[in-house]
Amino acid sequence: MANSYCLLLLIVSGIGIFRYKLLTTPFKVLAWSVIAICLLAFLSRFFSVMYHNNAPILQIQVITEYVFYSITYYYLFKNKIIKKAVIASIILVSVFFLINTLFFQPFAHKFPTNVYFLTQALYAILSLLLFKEMLMYPLKVNIIKQSVFWFNTAILFYATTMFFNLGLSNYLAEHTHYDVIITFFWYLIIYLFHILISIALLTDNKKFTSPYA
Amino acid sequence: MPDDNLRFLILSTAMFFAVIAGFIIYFVVLYRNRQLKNRQEQEQLQSNFKQEVLKAQIEMQEQTLNHVSREIHDNITQVLSFVKLNLAMMAKTEEPEKKTGIDETRELVAQAITDLRDLSKSLSFEQIKQIGLLKTIEIETKRINKTAVIKTILNTDGDIYPLGHQRELVLFRIFQEALNNSLKHSGAKHFKISLQYYRELFNLTLEDDGVGFSKELFGKGDGSGLRNIENRAALIGAIATIDSAPDKGCIINISLNPLEQQLYIDEDHSNRIG
Repeated sequence: MANSYCLLLLIVSGIGIFRYKLLTTPFKVLAWSVIAICLLAFLSRFFSVMYHNNAPILQIQVITEYVFYSITYYYLFKNKIIKKAVIASIILVSVFFLINTLFFQPFAHKFPTNVYFLTQALYAILSLLLFKEMLMYPLKVNIIKQSVFWFNTAILFYATTMFFNLGLSNYLAEHTHYDVIITFFWYLIIYLFHILISIALLTDNKKFTSPYA
Repeated sequence: MPDDNLRFLILSTAMFFAVIAGFIIYFVVLYRNRQLKNRQEQEQLQSNFKQEVLKAQIEMQEQTLNHVSREIHDNITQVLSFVKLNLAMMAKTEEPEKKTGIDETRELVAQAITDLRDLSKSLSFEQIKQIGLLKTIEIETKRINKTAVIKTILNTDGDIYPLGHQRELVLFRIFQEALNNSLKHSGAKHFKISLQYYRELFNLTLEDDGVGFSKELFGKGDGSGLRNIENRAALIGAIATIDSAPDKGCIINISLNPLEQQLYIDEDHSNRIG
């Protein structure tokens, strides 16, 4: 599972690098985020094998993901207030991350679930806001061909399913021992998320700008 | 027990995915509807703008024609009348040769005055306002028949009713455009005009037996007169159909619902129906 996940990340990163010159600014940021996550995934594997502890890598991954996705959203939003709010959220989440690692979930030993819950909630809010903005300024081009739609769907899917997965994890931990199912479900979410991200990277093209409908 | 948990897991997961998929599908449908709505609004705006431009063009054209008509009536025909009067004075000469020449010239001037007055009337909006579409077309056909270049035939059907000054003026200009096309390009011998007055339908059919033209020509630069006919018809809410083929002549049909109010018909030139 983990190997195929790393392979998928490599493919998505490859798409990002291969189409980098054709991508618009937000999707260039997204391409960098995929590359960063890919490197962290390999590091995580390495730490797991070598030290039987990949918590520091996961700590870095949570904050890295948030910074990259927020910057992507910053470029995608048109509303200036939301843009400022996105920047403010990066600062606030970073401060919260520091406090959390110093006082609640140590950097070297624990997965930052507190930060994770916060960022997942923010992702869901940002994606819903972007869906709303998309409805306010619809483009002429078919929605299926819009990279923003695929990226936003990916983020909404990721944010909500991760919540759902964590909720199920607690329930199943109390009632059964379906570790395999939970792991499978987690990978399924991650796979689908990165497939949607790769569609976004494939559909984005700065040479074809569509007018408003 | 474990089976119950597994069932719960599968059910809740399926429901969750269904909700997410439902939301995305709902969003896509909503987005497409918004795209469609915006496109319709844009098309409506463009259509309104086009109609306004066309209206302005036609109003400007009418003003110019009225101005030319007034100039012909008030200036040129007056000068020619004065020339005719002078010639009458000169015709009192005793020399028979000169007298014959002067009388012939007087007749030609008189003919020119009559023709110019007719032309002035056909250019002016006033005639349509005063005597209506049918009478104006009748006068115009008589004038054309006198020239013997083309034979015009006028038919009417149904009880004649007024269509409103603006619509009648536009229909008359369409008639003039078609007649002009026939005279200039078709080499037709006959030009048939048919006006059908039905309760909910008015039809103006203009038919010639000239050389006709192919459909391709209609889309090119030469077809600007025909496009003008279509645009003018659209302005009064009428539908123009132009049917022609090489050596088959040309049939132009303008049909409109006389009871339907149109944008172009304003307070100054109100529709007299209803």
